[in-house]
Amino acid sequence: MVGKSEPLNGTATAKTGQSPSPSPPPATPMSDLLGNFSFKTLKLKTKQQELLIRVSILCLVYVLAFITRLFSVLRYESMIHEFDPYFNYRTTLYLTEKGFYEFWNWFDSESWYPLGRIIGGTLYPGLMVTAAIIYWALRFLSFAVHIREVCVLTAPFFASNTTIVAYFFGKEIWDTGAGLVAAALIAICPGYISRSVAGSYDNEGVAIFALLLTFYLFVKAVNTGSLAWALGSALGYFYMVSAWGGYIFIINLIPLYVLVLLITGRYSMRLYVAYNCTYILGMLLAMQIRFVGFQHVQSGEHMAAMGVFFLMQVFYFLDYVKHLLSDSKMFQAFLRITVTCAVAVGGVALGVGTASGYISPWTGRFYSLLDPTYAKDHIPIIASVSEHQPTAWSSFMFDFHILLFLFPAGLYFCFKRLSDATIFIVMYGLTSMYFAGVMVRLILVATPAVCLISAIAVSATIKNLTQLARAKDKVSQTGSAKGASSTKGSSKGSIDQSQPFQRNGAFALLFGAFYLLSKYATHCTWVTSEAYSSPSIVLAARGAHGNRVIFDDYREAYFWLRQNTPPDAKVMSWWDYGYQITAMGNRTVIVDNNTWNNTHIATVGRAMSSYEDEAYDIMRSLDVDYVLVVFGGVTGYSSDDINKFLWMVRIGGGVFPVIKEPDYLVNGEYRVDKGAAPKMLNCLMYKLSYYRFGEMTTEYGKPPGYDRARGVEIGNKDIKLEYLEEAFTTSNWIVRIYKVKPPNNRW
Amino acid sequence: MPPKSETQPPSTGTGTTPSDPSNASIDPILLVLRILPYSFLRPPRLRLKLPTLTLPSPMTVYALVLLTYFMVVSGIVYDVIVEPPSIGSTQDRLTGSIRPVVFLTAQVNGQYIIEGLSSGFMFVLGGIGIVLMDLALDRNRAKSVKVSYATAGISSVVLAYVISMLFIRIKIPGYLY
Repeated sequence: MVGKSEPLNGTATAKTGQSPSPSPPPATPMSDLLGNFSFKTLKLKTKQQELLIRVSILCLVYVLAFITRLFSVLRYESMIHEFDPYFNYRTTLYLTEKGFYEFWNWFDSESWYPLGRIIGGTLYPGLMVTAAIIYWALRFLSFAVHIREVCVLTAPFFASNTTIVAYFFGKEIWDTGAGLVAAALIAICPGYISRSVAGSYDNEGVAIFALLLTFYLFVKAVNTGSLAWALGSALGYFYMVSAWGGYIFIINLIPLYVLVLLITGRYSMRLYVAYNCTYILGMLLAMQIRFVGFQHVQSGEHMAAMGVFFLMQVFYFLDYVKHLLSDSKMFQAFLRITVTCAVAVGGVALGVGTASGYISPWTGRFYSLLDPTYAKDHIPIIASVSEHQPTAWSSFMFDFHILLFLFPAGLYFCFKRLSDATIFIVMYGLTSMYFAGVMVRLILVATPAVCLISAIAVSATIKNLTQLARAKDKVSQTGSAKGASSTKGSSKGSIDQSQPFQRNGAFALLFGAFYLLSKYATHCTWVTSEAYSSPSIVLAARGAHGNRVIFDDYREAYFWLRQNTPPDAKVMSWWDYGYQITAMGNRTVIVDNNTWNNTHIATVGRAMSSYEDEAYDIMRSLDVDYVLVVFGGVTGYSSDDINKFLWMVRIGGGVFPVIKEPDYLVNGEYRVDKGAAPKMLNCLMYKLSYYRFGEMTTEYGKPPGYDRARGVEIGNKDIKLEYLEEAFTTSNWIVRIYKVKPPNNRW
Repeated sequence: MPPKSETQPPSTGTGTTPSDPSNASIDPILLVLRILPYSFLRPPRLRLKLPTLTLPSPMTVYALVLLTYFMVVSGIVYDVIVEPPSIGSTQDRLTGSIRPVVFLTAQVNGQYIIEGLSSGFMFVLGGIGIVLMDLALDRNRAKSVKVSYATAGISSVVLAYVISMLFIRIKIPGYLY
């Protein structure tokens, strides 16, 4: 706390009674015991008090981080949310049932029919292996848990662990106070909660923990220059590579940081040891993941790390030569030669590698981060995902609240006290904020940096204010570390009257700071409860009398598929639902969320946007037995297939020019009512969504066939299906399944 | 660690050729150049000097960083890609006149340009307020300057917080309900 930041030697045992009288009275053993007991005071020394406070704060923050993510488990049930986690759940199930070798060599023929998918080689196994290890550990301790419970609660568990890592990181950068504030901020920050609620069994839940751990270990290695910490950092990087594709951020940020340190003249032996060990070991370990493979030496996104590696060797060599040479003119000449040669060799190597094709260029996913307009023009699949949209100010406000004010203040404090560690956190904060501005989903990556920098601001400001508040007591001790009390001491003679004013002012400002932080806590809890705790597979709405109405249509449809269709049936739907159909319906799908084959998805998009007879030919060629569409016209659910239909047209038209987007629009406007384009009114998606809908009255006072999601009465009410027949419609008409009829008998 | 060489007396290195310093260079490229074109060509006498690059001070960098932060947090990437209008408009039902609408309501990830810029400005103002509060405490300045910094800082923070809360309440109906 104030001024007493001596290093703690971690003694938690010294709760000895500090009895003032050394010799107890020589009485019977019983009263001797009682005497000792009464002398045993519970007065702890200040170091122990501080340790107790710190440990209890960390324990509370740990528990808080876990329980704030449990809203959806308490409201609905313990189930997996969204789309991607269902794939992760299915693979984890397979891992726990069949063992690691089967999992690693798994070829799945149940998705992307008829192509199949090499699952072992195209996923990041970190999350599944982590959940499986926790499951086996609990089973070993005789807790009979189901793997689903472990999967649901993995993300909150790792969020709690992230707070502990944030504490140590804050302690490394600034001091223990900042570490505690960082842990508390990151425990409830909505930017992190959004992807790590209970039930969101996705890579990011584990990856943010691995990211922060790697960064912490690397900064510790740079600060200490120890090989052990650098090895730890390499292992942390391996865990990150196994967990998430966002490891590209680490392998580009760390070289950029090293480059900045070299430019600002902070080259040192510690940096050399830390970076070399981390890079080489990390690269070798990363190549063990089949999905990554040899990308560390072949892909353009990883070349920055290699370039900085060679640059470090040049720096070390020049340092070595400088020690050997005594003549500074000779050294200058040598420096010029070496730098020219190094730059020339590096440039030639890069040019040859890129030209020969050995070094592949940046993939579209990551290139669109540097040039955000690229995806909009060239890759419609990336542009269509709602999480990939750029960020508006209100998303920042929702996910960060107070931290948006504290971030620039924290940057100021970091710039005031530049060191290797603060330079790192500044770079991490700036680069991650830029990427968060480009893509909403990446606010998650920026959250730890923003929390840490804001914690520095909070800690430094509160330290200033408490010093002001305690300044009256400390007037005699002007040797305190901060300059605040020295100004007090210098102007002490003239402003004795303003001392209480400043003290009251400091108390008022302290109260204001706590008020702001409590508003932050309120906001975070409200956002978590309202916005980020919905399972997406179960929908809820408020009924007419304010009661809660639950729509469980998705699971109803998937279980119908599971129980009423032949086991080798193939289901065609838009790629959003592929993972859920395979995981819950246990049926083969044509395309799913992996979206690795654009042509296959375009084929499905073409089928959905063609007339029924053309679509029937495509479906027969793909052996489709059932078609699944999602329709929100009865409930007003707005994320249904008709609203996504234009993306199907765009993606299909990107590969098959016969599908043209203007055919489906009227004056550039997308309509489904009477004035809609004729191709729109007769395409397969329209027919399957609105079959028999024309007879249905959805809202009081509106004509039958009133689509509540679009707010119009549909144009084509009398729909006849020739090649498909309706198999199942869920109770609220959200999911509709159709069976593809076999071809007519020929004679 | 590279071995430390013993310190040699400096006179031996530079005392050999005081008259012709270019001959003391060990640069091989310079050697080749002296032979090949410059044995028959004469370079003109110029007085050129390479500009020396100095690193900017931390506070200059901080100012640039603050500017970048303002642009990113105002949603400039959203503005460039989605190209929303700078201000929205709605038609008054009774009179038929076009009234401007500043906030794009009910959408968390959507904005008009002006609302983005004004919110970004509020965030930066709050940050600068805290910086001013710290400046008011830490330096040996004149007391009136410290008091004015403190006042400006506190009022900036309060203003920024209140206005940001107002903005988000207008934009998201049902906020904190």
